[in-house]
Amino acid sequence: MLIDRASLRRLCRARELLEHDGQPVAEVARLVGISPFHFIRQFDALFGETPHQYRTRARLDRAKQLLARGHSVTDTCMEVGFSSVGSFSQLFARHVGAPPSAYRRRGVQVATSLVHPGCFSLMCWLPAAAFRNSREAHVARVGQGRPA
Amino acid sequence: MIKIKLTSIMVEDQAKALAFYTDVLGFAKKHDLPVGEYRWITVTAPGRDDLELTLEPNANPAGKAFQQAMFAQGIPLAAFEVDDIVAEHARLAKHGVAFTQKPTQMGPVTIAVFADTCGNLIQLYQPMSIGTDEE
Repeated sequence: MLIDRASLRRLCRARELLEHDGQPVAEVARLVGISPFHFIRQFDALFGETPHQYRTRARLDRAKQLLARGHSVTDTCMEVGFSSVGSFSQLFARHVGAPPSAYRRRGVQVATSLVHPGCFSLMCWLPAAAFRNSREAHVARVGQGRPA
Repeated sequence: MIKIKLTSIMVEDQAKALAFYTDVLGFAKKHDLPVGEYRWITVTAPGRDDLELTLEPNANPAGKAFQQAMFAQGIPLAAFEVDDIVAEHARLAKHGVAFTQKPTQMGPVTIAVFADTCGNLIQLYQPMSIGTDEE
């Protein structure tokens, strides 16, 4: 599938709308001027998920951030655009693996260190064997190497 | 001596990224270790152990904003070399990969650009062969 420059811009605009506004997917497609069929197909090919999946995940990601900062479950639910706390909690638990209340308790404790990791900052949690140099050093010490 | 052995690319969803970078692109998984809520995932080109690419979570809003802005401008965040860009383009297209640029000769290289389904545009390039280039 080839996506030309104009379509790329439209699909990126649609992604912003999905993330920040509450319109139905068909309305977003109309706003950016792509037929609903092509919109879903091209969006999926470009971003790896359908517009609906994208919006749900974006909302839940935002919810995770708010909960980790200590916002209440109800406030978070309303803030990210869900109207029912019950359905928000169910959806959250299904995607994240823990209900929002539990995530909030745990999140507040670790928020300072891991909520927004830079990838290379994760290194300090790795075992030594994850590093090529440590293996090279080991090989040099032991004198018998097995190439990976 | 300072060496280049590790580089990274930000991805929207690490599990999906690992699937795309191995199953579709054909890289080999090197490490996959849990780190808190995230994972330390690296891949290598098949048969090449000397450089690892980390599939980094883009959970930091600053990183995500950068990634989205570059994507919207059509700018690739990584470039991978291929031996036969026409064949790779055809192979990836068969997997349903979306290209924003078909293989196009530009000066000494032929380039193509595709979406990695993880929030990035990636450039493939094939250098023009020069005389007796053998490897």
